[in-house]
Order: sequence, then C-alpha cells, then structure tokens
Amino acid sequence: MRLLTDYMLSSNIKGVTNGFPLRLEVEKSVEKEVDFNADFLKNMFPKIEWKALVDAFRSMGYTELPNEAESPMLDSKEFLKKFHHALLQLHLEEGALICPETGRRFPVSKGIPNMLLHEDEVFDEVYQIESQF
Amino acid sequence: MIKPVFRVIIPNNNRFPKLIPPSFSEEKDTSKCRPDQHQHCASHGSHQLASRFCVRSDSLMIFDVTRAGRCCYRPWKVFSSPIIVVDSVSHWRAFSTMTNVQVDCASKLPTIASDGDSQMQQSVQLNEEQTRSSLSVKSTPDIEQKYVHRVYDAIAPHFSSTRFAKWPKVATFLNSLPSGSLVLDAGCGNGKYLGLNPDCFFVGCDISAPLISICAGRGQEVMVADAVNLPYRTGFGDAAISIAVLHHLSTESRRKKAIDELVRVVRKGGLVLITVWAVEQEDRSLLTKWTPLPHMYVEEWIGPSSPHVRSPSTFLLESIPETENSCGDCLKDFVELSKERLTDTHLTSQREDGSVGSRDGNNIKNQQEYFVPWHLPYHRAEVSGASACALANGLAKKDDKKGAVVYNRYYHVFIEGELERLVSGIDNAVIVDQFFDKSNWCIILEKT
Repeated sequence: MRLLTDYMLSSNIKGVTNGFPLRLEVEKSVEKEVDFNADFLKNMFPKIEWKALVDAFRSMGYTELPNEAESPMLDSKEFLKKFHHALLQLHLEEGALICPETGRRFPVSKGIPNMLLHEDEVFDEVYQIESQF
Repeated sequence: MIKPVFRVIIPNNNRFPKLIPPSFSEEKDTSKCRPDQHQHCASHGSHQLASRFCVRSDSLMIFDVTRAGRCCYRPWKVFSSPIIVVDSVSHWRAFSTMTNVQVDCASKLPTIASDGDSQMQQSVQLNEEQTRSSLSVKSTPDIEQKYVHRVYDAIAPHFSSTRFAKWPKVATFLNSLPSGSLVLDAGCGNGKYLGLNPDCFFVGCDISAPLISICAGRGQEVMVADAVNLPYRTGFGDAAISIAVLHHLSTESRRKKAIDELVRVVRKGGLVLITVWAVEQEDRSLLTKWTPLPHMYVEEWIGPSSPHVRSPSTFLLESIPETENSCGDCLKDFVELSKERLTDTHLTSQREDGSVGSRDGNNIKNQQEYFVPWHLPYHRAEVSGASACALANGLAKKDDKKGAVVYNRYYHVFIEGELERLVSGIDNAVIVDQFFDKSNWCIILEKT
C-alpha cells in the first residue's frame, strides 16, 4: 500500500467524526518503482495537507522531504522526484492503519489493507425511498 | 403536509424489536454523522420528511420494506395496531432465530409503552398513494454473503482467467480522462481496468479478498473494502467506475447507497461511470439458463422447516408491545399473518414509473431477480476448501456432465430507466450520458 492510498483513506466506523488521516503502523516496508508522472503529482499536490503526509513519510523512514511545501516547489524536478518516491514508491507491506479516533487497527497484509468493518462498527444510516403501491 | 413514517425497528443484537413512532423521525443524532455526510442529516422540512437521517445502530436494525416496492402502512383489521409490510429476507432470518429476548432500555430512542397501540393509531396517517420506507443499508444481507461474496471467493482464479477483454466503452471513458487523474474502481474484481490508462493512477477495491490478491499480484494498488461503504475521503478522486457491480446488491437502498458513495468520493466536476446488467439481454437464450428468483429465494432464506411464504415482498410484522415473553408469540403471529396476507396478495414488483405490476414465475419481462450460474470446472475447484464446503452446504452443485461445480450468483438485473431513477434523487450529480451497450445499462454522472 502506497502512502498516497493511506492518505486518501478514512475510517468510517460509526460514531467517528474525523477518520483521517489514518496513522501508520509499520512492520515491513518495501520500495517499488513506479513510472514518474509529473501531471499526476501536480494534480495531487493541492489535494494534500502536507503536514499529514510528512508524518506518514517519516513513519516509513523517509526524511528527504521538507516539513513544509509550497506549490512553486513543484517546478523543481528534484522536489518532484522526491515527492514521487515518497508518495508512490514507498510501500507498506505489513502493518496496520490506525483510526485516529478509536485506535481500531485496519490490518495491512502483503501490501493489501483490509478496510471492511465489523457488523457492530457499521453506521446504520437509514435510507428512505419513496415507493408506490 | 407531514407524512409520518412508521417503521419497524429490530435491534441488530437480537434484542427485542420495537416500533418507533413517527415523532422519532424528526429527531436526529448528528453527533453520529460523519462531517462530510452531515448534509444527509439535515433536519426535516416542515412539509415532508427528509430523505435520510441517522440513527444509532447499536440498538437498531431496520427492516427492508421496499423489497419489491410493496410497502404499505395500513391498518390491519384483525389486529388493532397498524401493520408494517416488511420484506427483508435476510433480516427475517435474524428475527426467526431470536430466542432470548431482552428489552433494550439503553437506547435513547423513545419506546412504546405497553398501551402503545393507541399511540400508534393516532400518530400514523396513511398515505395510500405513497409512503417512505426505511432501510438498513450497510449490513450485508445474507443473500449477498452466500450468493455473491462466497461465490466470488471460491471462483476467483477461474473467474479472473475469463476476465481479460476490455470493454470498449469503459476503455473510452478511462482514456478520455485528463492525464494525472486519480481513478477509483469500486468493485474492481480481478483488476481488469486498473492501469488501463497509463497516464492515470488507479486505486481499486473489492469485497473479495481472493480477487484483490490477484490484483495485488499484478502490482495494482488495491484494498479489500465494501462498495456500499467506501473507505475513501470525500472528494479525493478525479473519477470513479463501477463496472458490473451494482447488480449484485440485493436492495434498492444498497444500490442507491453505492451510487451515492461513488459520487461522494470524486471531486466536484469528477466523473462516475456505472454499468449494470440489463433485463433486456440481447441474447434472450441466456435468460433460460438463469433461475428467476422468487420461489428459490424465499425457500432458501426461510428454510424448509418454516412455513412456506410465497413472496419476499409481502412480509408483515405486527407492532410488538415491549414485553419479554411475547417474542415467540410474535414470531408465530408474524408467520400466521404472512400466510393470511399472502392468500390474497400477488407477487408484486415495482416498475420504474412507480406502478406495481404482478409478477409470476412465467412473466420474464418484469423479472429482475436471478441466480446466474457459474460453472467452475472440476480441475479448477480445489480438492478441499471453498468448493468442498459449498457442496456440503448445498450452496453449489456438481454437474458431472459438464465436469463442473455449479455456483449461483445473485443478480438484480436492471430494467430500462432504473439507473436513471436511482440517480434522480442525488442532488449533487447530473447525468452526462446514458446508454445501452452489450446488454448493460450504463450511465455517466458528473458531480456538481
């Protein structure tokens, strides 16, 4: 699981008001190469709260990126490469994602997070649908 | 004019069912709402009940009352209390296994006093033309567990080996997305479409762990998740696709919720492509290989020992006073009532224009619920494991002539206009295209 994915996930356990970002519990991480796509990085940058991402990078042991980042930095190829590496090439293979409110662990095994909720965690929204008879 | 809603609530922890009078529907427990869903918890308008509200699920389970569109809140002459029509087969099963009855006093919800009958009669006003029904959405119904999830888990490698052809319409959609888009594939199966556009970044999810493993083996970014409850933040994706997924959801509310989720997870201006199997199959001979559902569905879920109930669409639940001992009696009454009710009720189905038509086993035109077989060749079925289990449980059968284990997959195939109707209630998305292609109904939405 890449850090980008971690960043876009949210805990949707019932009662949780702020389910992101999910904290990383790293048991095993690997690096996997991904094709570089500057368009994608520039598209993602504004969607990201940099501080939260930096925390994730650090928990994976990557310290090459600054604590703060502004969009002009996207013009720098060097910055983009580091951003690319941290966002897309660092993989969590084994570990867990932790809900920031409840501490509930969503396990990550062989790089695959399991985000399924248990029955008692499901937020039972009531949907009303008009029907005619 | 306020249209009160009367619904039956059954706690999801096998506690005693109770009726919630309409006044409750005006309360909301917004602390339990996710902030990005807060709009769904808006207080009710003065002239109509809001379309959604939040309830605490630790003491509730809601019966699905629109199984076939036959919902009524109609006083029943035999009993003095109003009767609610319910038809959620999956929840019926839970109800029928209740043995220890506990009265739930912990809930904040108003409960009905033992003389609640009079309260109910006063507060319920029936609207003969229309009613609203409340549905539990996120708990997976039994029929999907058994005839979708477990089947795909068992057939995953074989299924994946047959899923390689890229559907041109989907490919066109994906290739038309701007370079650098983040695309979310909800119900990605074997990941056929992940990475189709090399300029986009794809994230897939599916409820089947074996299928997801296959995707991961190809280096795709995937996770195990539920399409009815996507674990993504709101508005993060640039596009979302749902290819041949929604027809595996067994209630209209779940299908609608899944669509809502697809819209939720894309940004403003983001696109959503949905495709589903159509009733109007181009190859009509296919339908003869499918098992139309009412009888089989009901028998499967009620079980051989229960009284035979003809239609999943006309279950009835009497209002139940809150006493400890009456569970068994209620169950009996439930069953008796169902039998009585059914002698003069036809199987019904709801057409997209809202009219109700009768549906019998022979009327294929209105038939939308099916079991569709999957033949898993013996040499692909493992010696021990899922297939052996499925055979033992009766969920799969052997076909020696074809040398295959035959699984049934549950489908709700869509009728013309149904997708459009489902999305019509979504206020933050518009339809930008809809079409019929290769026996599938397809729709493209844009989030506004």
